[in-house]
Amino acid sequence: MIEAVPLSHVLFVGAAMFAIGIFGVLSRRNAVAILLGVELMLNAVNINFIAFTMYSAPSRIVGQIIAIFVITVAAAEIGLGLAIILQVFRNRANINVDELDLLRW
Amino acid sequence: MGWSWLIPILPLAAFPIVGLFGRRLPGGGSFLTILAVTAGFAISVMGLIELTTTAGLEFNQGPGPFVVEFLRAGDLSVPLSMVVDSLSLVMLIVVTFLTAVIQIYSIGYMRGEQRLHWYFATMSLFAAAMLGLTITNNLVILYVAWELVGLCSYLLIGFWWERPSAREAAKKAFITTRIGDVGLLIGILLLFVNTGTFEMDEIFAMVNAGEVGSGAVTLSAILIFLGAMGKSGQFPLHVWLPDAMEGPSPVSALIHAATMVAAGVFLVARMYPLFAASEGALMVVLVIGTITAIFAALLALVETDLKRVLAYSTISQLGYMMFALGAGGMTAAMLHLVTHGFFKALLFLGAGAVMHACGGIIDIDRLGGLRKRMPITTWTFVIGALSLSGFPLLSGFWSKDAILNSAVEGGHWLTFSVGVITAALTAFYMFRVIFRVFFGSPRSSAAENAHAAEPVLAVPLVILAVFAVLGGWVGSPLIGDPFARFVYFGAEAGHAFESLGAILLSASAAIVGIIVAYSVYMLRSPSAETVREAIPAAHRFLARRAYIDDLYQWLIDHVSLALAVLVAMFDRKVINGTAVDGSGFLVIFSGSRLRRLMTGFLYNYAAFMLLGVVGLSIVIFALAD
Repeated sequence: MIEAVPLSHVLFVGAAMFAIGIFGVLSRRNAVAILLGVELMLNAVNINFIAFTMYSAPSRIVGQIIAIFVITVAAAEIGLGLAIILQVFRNRANINVDELDLLRW
Repeated sequence: MGWSWLIPILPLAAFPIVGLFGRRLPGGGSFLTILAVTAGFAISVMGLIELTTTAGLEFNQGPGPFVVEFLRAGDLSVPLSMVVDSLSLVMLIVVTFLTAVIQIYSIGYMRGEQRLHWYFATMSLFAAAMLGLTITNNLVILYVAWELVGLCSYLLIGFWWERPSAREAAKKAFITTRIGDVGLLIGILLLFVNTGTFEMDEIFAMVNAGEVGSGAVTLSAILIFLGAMGKSGQFPLHVWLPDAMEGPSPVSALIHAATMVAAGVFLVARMYPLFAASEGALMVVLVIGTITAIFAALLALVETDLKRVLAYSTISQLGYMMFALGAGGMTAAMLHLVTHGFFKALLFLGAGAVMHACGGIIDIDRLGGLRKRMPITTWTFVIGALSLSGFPLLSGFWSKDAILNSAVEGGHWLTFSVGVITAALTAFYMFRVIFRVFFGSPRSSAAENAHAAEPVLAVPLVILAVFAVLGGWVGSPLIGDPFARFVYFGAEAGHAFESLGAILLSASAAIVGIIVAYSVYMLRSPSAETVREAIPAAHRFLARRAYIDDLYQWLIDHVSLALAVLVAMFDRKVINGTAVDGSGFLVIFSGSRLRRLMTGFLYNYAAFMLLGVVGLSIVIFALAD
C-alpha cells in the first residue's frame, strides 16, 4: 500500500505545507497567526523526515524519532511563544507585530 | 661559605617588612635593616677567614656553593649561581660594613623624617641589590641587580621629592645611567650570542681558550664598560653625580662610597678576564679614566657647594680606579675602591654633620670657623681629606701609590703624570674646602650657632676615620702587601716600592697642593679673588662645568626635542589619526548604514532568514556537484 504512493507525492505535500507556513509567517500581522505558520513549517519538515525514512530504510525508525523530538520542541516553543505574546498583549493591548517596534533604530 | 647566599637575601627580606610595616616599628624599622646588613658583614668576615685559612683553596675560584634555577626558557637556563672569591668577598665586606655604618648614622641624621621607614626600606633594597650584583655569577642576575641599584639610587636621590630640584636630580641620575645600561645590556647579549651562556666563569674560560673572536671580545668589553661609565660617573656620563647631592647626605655617602658608583669599577674588575683579552678595550678604559680623573678634579676647584666638591672628587677618584684597570692594575683599583669607600663615606658623613649642625647650609662661602664648635667632625674630616689626598702613610696613600705604580708598570707615562697632577689638585681642593668651612671666621649666623655632632653621628665618623687611616695598610708594601696576595688577576703580584721616584712625586704633589691651598685660603697670598681675576676665562669655563651640561641641554632642546616633535606628529597623525581613529570611524560609518536593515518589522526579519536559508542551500548544492 505504501508503495502505491510515490515519494515525490509525499514530498510535494511537505513542500506545499512548508510554503503555506512561510506565506503565513511573512504575510500575517497577528503574532498568533505567525506562530501557527511556524507550526505548519515544522510539521512539513516532520512529513519529510518520515517520508524519507519510509522510502530508504523502513525498518529503522530514525525519521519518526526525530519527528517526535521536533513535536516536543515545537510544543515547548509554542508554550513559550504564547506566553510571550500573552505578556505583550497585557502590556500593549495589541499583538500586531507591525506596532511592536521598540528596538527599531 | 655555605651561608653566603644569605648576604644579599637578608637585606632583601628586610625591604618588604620594613617598607610595609616599618611605620609601626620603633625607629621606622631601622634596627631590622641594620641587623640584616650587619649579619651580612659577619658572614662575609667568616667567609674571608675561611678563604684565607683553608689551605689549598684557590682565591679566584669559580661559582659558589649555592645554585638554584631562576628561570628557564627552552634550552636556556638562568641559575642563581654565586661566585665567592677574593674579589667578591672584599666587595661584600666593604659594602656591608659601610652600609651598616651609614645606616647607624642615618638614625641620627634622618630623625623625625616623615617617611623614615621608606628611607630604611630603600636603603636595605639598595644594599641587597649591590650585594646581589657582587656575588652573582650570572650576567642576567647581574643586570637585574644592576638595574635595581639604579632604581634605588633614583628613589633615594629623589627622597625629598617635594623639592623640584630633588625630582630633577633623581630623573637625571636615572636617565644618564640608563644610557650606559643600554650598552651593558647589548654587551651582555653580545657575549651570550658568542658564547651561548650567561655564566661568567664559562664565558671567561671560553675567552681564555680563544674560542671567541677578538672583535667580539673588544666590542662587548667596550659596551660593558659603557655601563660602568654610566654607573661610575665617568666622563662624559658624569653629569648626574654632582646633582645626586640632592638626596640626604647618608644617601650620598652610600652612593659615593659603597654602592652605586663602586658598581661600575667592580663590574670592570669582575669582567677583567674579558678586558684583559682585549688591548683596545683596556685602552678605552685607560683613556676615559685618565680624562675623568683630571677633568673632575678641575671642576672641583671652583665648586662652592661642599657636597658637590666631594662629588667631583668621587668622579676624579673613580677615574683613578678606571685608569688603573686600564693599565692592568686590577689589584690597585680594588684597593683604591676599598680605601676610597672608607674615606669618602667619612667625608660625606662629615659634610652631613655640618649640614645638620648649620640648618642645611652647604655653601662653603656661608660656612667657616666650625673647627671650634664641631671638633670631632673637623678632625675626622681632615683625616678623610688627608687620606683622600694621598698623604703619606694614610689609607689613600697606599692605594694611590699602587695605582700610579700600575701606570708606571704599564708604561703609560702620560697617564702617570696626569695622575700626579690630579693628586696635587685633589689635595688643593680638599684643603680649600677645609680652610673655608672649618677655619677662619663664620660667614653666617647659622655657622656661628652650629652645635657639635651628637654621638650617633659622631661615632660612625670616628669609626670611619680609624679605617681611613689604617684601612689602606692591607695594601702596604711595608708589611708585604697582603691585599695584592689576596686579590689579583693572573699571576700573584705584590708591589714593592719599585719606583721610589714615583711615590715621592705623588706624596710631594699632595703636600704641595695642601701648601698652596693654605697660602691661598689662609694667608691670602695670592688671594682666590686675585687668581680668579687673573684668568677669568678659565674660571668661567670651570664654573660652567666645562659647558657639558649646557651641551646636553642644547642637544636635548634642539636634537631630541626636534626628533620628538617629528615622532609625536607621526603618532598623532598616522598612528592615532589613521589607524586608531580610522578603525573607529569605519565601525561607526558601517553601523550607521547597516542599521537600516533593522526595520523592526518581524516579517522583514523572517524574509531575511528565508533568503539566507535559500542562499545557503544554493551554495551547498553548488558545492556538492
